[in-house]
Amino acid sequence: MTSVCFYFQVHQPMRLNKFSVFTKNSPYFDDNRNREYFERVSRKCYIPTNKILLDLINEFDGKFKIAFSLTGVFIEQCKKFAPEVLESFKELAKTGNVEFLNETYYHSLAALFSEKEFKEQTKLHKKAIKDLFGQNPKVFRNTEAMYSNNIARLVESFGYKGIITEGHESILGWRSPNYLYTPNNCNNISALLRNYKLSDDIGFRFSAKWWEGYPLTADKYASWLSKCEGQCANIFIDYETFGEHQWEDTGIFSFLKYLPSEVFKYSNLDFKTPSEIIKLNRPVGIIDVPNTISWADIQRDTSAWLENEMQKLAFEQMAGLEKYIKKNPELMHIWRLLQTSDHFYYMCTKWFADGDVHKYFNPYNSPYDAFINYMNILQDLKLKLGLNEDR
Amino acid sequence: MIGWEFPPAKTGGLGTHCYELVKNLSNKGIHVSLLIPKRTENVKHNIPNVEIIEVGSVAINPYNSVRPEGNIFEKGYGWNFFEEVKAFNKKCVEIAKKKAFDIIHCHDWMTINAGIELKKTMSKPLVFTVHSTEYDRTAHIYPMNFIVDIEKRGLEEADMIITVSEGMKKQLMERYNADQSKITVIYNGIDSSKYFGLTKKDSNGTVLFLGRLTNQKGPYFFMHTAKKVLEKKKNVTFVMAGQGEQMPEMIKMAIDLKIINNFIFTGYLSEEEILRAYSTADVYVMPSVAEPFGITALEAIASGTPVIVSKNAGVAEKIAHCFKVDFWDTHEMANQIIGLLKYSVLKECMRRNSYKEIRNFGWDKVAEKTIEVYRRAL
Repeated sequence: MTSVCFYFQVHQPMRLNKFSVFTKNSPYFDDNRNREYFERVSRKCYIPTNKILLDLINEFDGKFKIAFSLTGVFIEQCKKFAPEVLESFKELAKTGNVEFLNETYYHSLAALFSEKEFKEQTKLHKKAIKDLFGQNPKVFRNTEAMYSNNIARLVESFGYKGIITEGHESILGWRSPNYLYTPNNCNNISALLRNYKLSDDIGFRFSAKWWEGYPLTADKYASWLSKCEGQCANIFIDYETFGEHQWEDTGIFSFLKYLPSEVFKYSNLDFKTPSEIIKLNRPVGIIDVPNTISWADIQRDTSAWLENEMQKLAFEQMAGLEKYIKKNPELMHIWRLLQTSDHFYYMCTKWFADGDVHKYFNPYNSPYDAFINYMNILQDLKLKLGLNEDR
Repeated sequence: MIGWEFPPAKTGGLGTHCYELVKNLSNKGIHVSLLIPKRTENVKHNIPNVEIIEVGSVAINPYNSVRPEGNIFEKGYGWNFFEEVKAFNKKCVEIAKKKAFDIIHCHDWMTINAGIELKKTMSKPLVFTVHSTEYDRTAHIYPMNFIVDIEKRGLEEADMIITVSEGMKKQLMERYNADQSKITVIYNGIDSSKYFGLTKKDSNGTVLFLGRLTNQKGPYFFMHTAKKVLEKKKNVTFVMAGQGEQMPEMIKMAIDLKIINNFIFTGYLSEEEILRAYSTADVYVMPSVAEPFGITALEAIASGTPVIVSKNAGVAEKIAHCFKVDFWDTHEMANQIIGLLKYSVLKECMRRNSYKEIRNFGWDKVAEKTIEVYRRAL
């Protein structure tokens, strides 16, 4: 029996205000634009997809299961801009067939600069999920599936039983992503690896006319799943795939609606949540990941956020404020919101000229504009902390 | 081919374009007879397959254009200039009639009347490259109707039209009703071997403007940007390189704004001085009100200098790794300049990435695409 494991990442960054070197006494975050984005994505994705999933769970009498990770930044905006969306997530939680995962509250890169920050943001998220959905998550998903031996050890020490990352050849070699693995030097935690081929078939290629799999139908996809050998087929994708990255007219919603019934036609397939898979299966081997990997880009490393010198400088300067922030707790939340990975992603210069996926998600004209804007805000925050201005 | 300027005489992109084009056409075995107005300095060249014929004597260039209220012929172009253009075109027709050729290729309005005449008498196809229109040169302030009419007629008569950007193509279609199917966009190129490249000294806080001091190039906006930068950052030098009718006005403005001590007005610069100006600057700013292409931005990039260009410049369509800004938004331009001066990582990232981008801008490709247009015209 191979269990199909769906986990959807739900996140919206808090985009920054236009902040020039001359700006004074202006909020850092662009509420109008964030509301606009949020309302649009709610309409196109969150509301219709939540409805479909709720119907499917009811229809199949508990046999259809899914997992979500909602970032704290998403939850805050949801409360502010679209409370009905949060209610529909609560409805899903009540079915008992939906598992919520933990991550850093701020969708941050904290694991890359401070164990303490990493731990605190994880705690904050744990509390937020507990308060909203009454669940105590057992599985952890770090920002953008960033993972290393060190991160796995920390997450184990926080008490989690599972951690999610990318099932890439660079860490697996000839081995299959469809099994649990034990992180190097860990005992009580298993790694769930994303089957990136099957995940990207939905996430990236669903509407790609050049692809030999096009058009992707529920019966075709279910037949691919049935051919998967192993304990689990981990389909981990951004939730915004439904209706936002893949628009409604691509047929993505009917694909989702028909998928469970097609999957149930195969006796060797069922649906399980990440913690169920960990409970029911034993790891088959060890993965050793000394350098941080992620699920992003072809490189599957941290280069989308921390490759060029601008990203590194912005990140260093932000991280360098940790010791000053402790003395100014009222600025803590703002500082942490500035840690959200998206701010660094916008400064990425890889393939910028080709107008690829980075550009599509970028609210700035260029990575250079993103850098200046971020630095101007950081500068303003420094002044508030009583630190000297850069020259 | 009928051109208007050729090195060493050069006031705009047209001269560079013609020189590089005939050189690279020659490399591909195309024979060119280039007719250009005679200038004070004689043309010297050793390009095979290329014959350069200097025609008559024209001393004024079309960019020295002050648009006075009242009689438009009192200053600027002057009667003499238009008579010279007319005489030049007439002479070109006489000379070209005695030559054997397959294609007539004209550059901008100063040469197109001869092209139209030759097309009629010799029954050869006419290719018309538009580097800038009357609207561009005047920054849309008092364009001369009779020049617009010449341009319009040229666009109608030409068998094929070449423009230097999509923006220019759009303008020709919208303002001149030009036939879309005749227009090919061929971006200008750059021979980066001439420039200093990425080797560079430390930052010295220099911001460069280089161009004719006319409405079209936006020196006024550069001046106001400088004022804003200096409010935030003291030790910055602004170099305003080039000549033009607005020079006195700009100097006065710098005095009035109390920023004259941070300004250098260079006046005319030699080729070698231009190379050094590009290379020593920390940032090159091109706040043009109208800019069909903007070769200087490529030249700055080839000199290892990051650039801020006006959003509407043709070059902004092709270069990703630069700042693009509305020419009137002096606030944002100042913000970008301060960013570049303050954060060396920003400057480094941008200049290195843009330097990589200009590898795609070889003049040989411009020549190839031009030959493709010739083929279609024949």
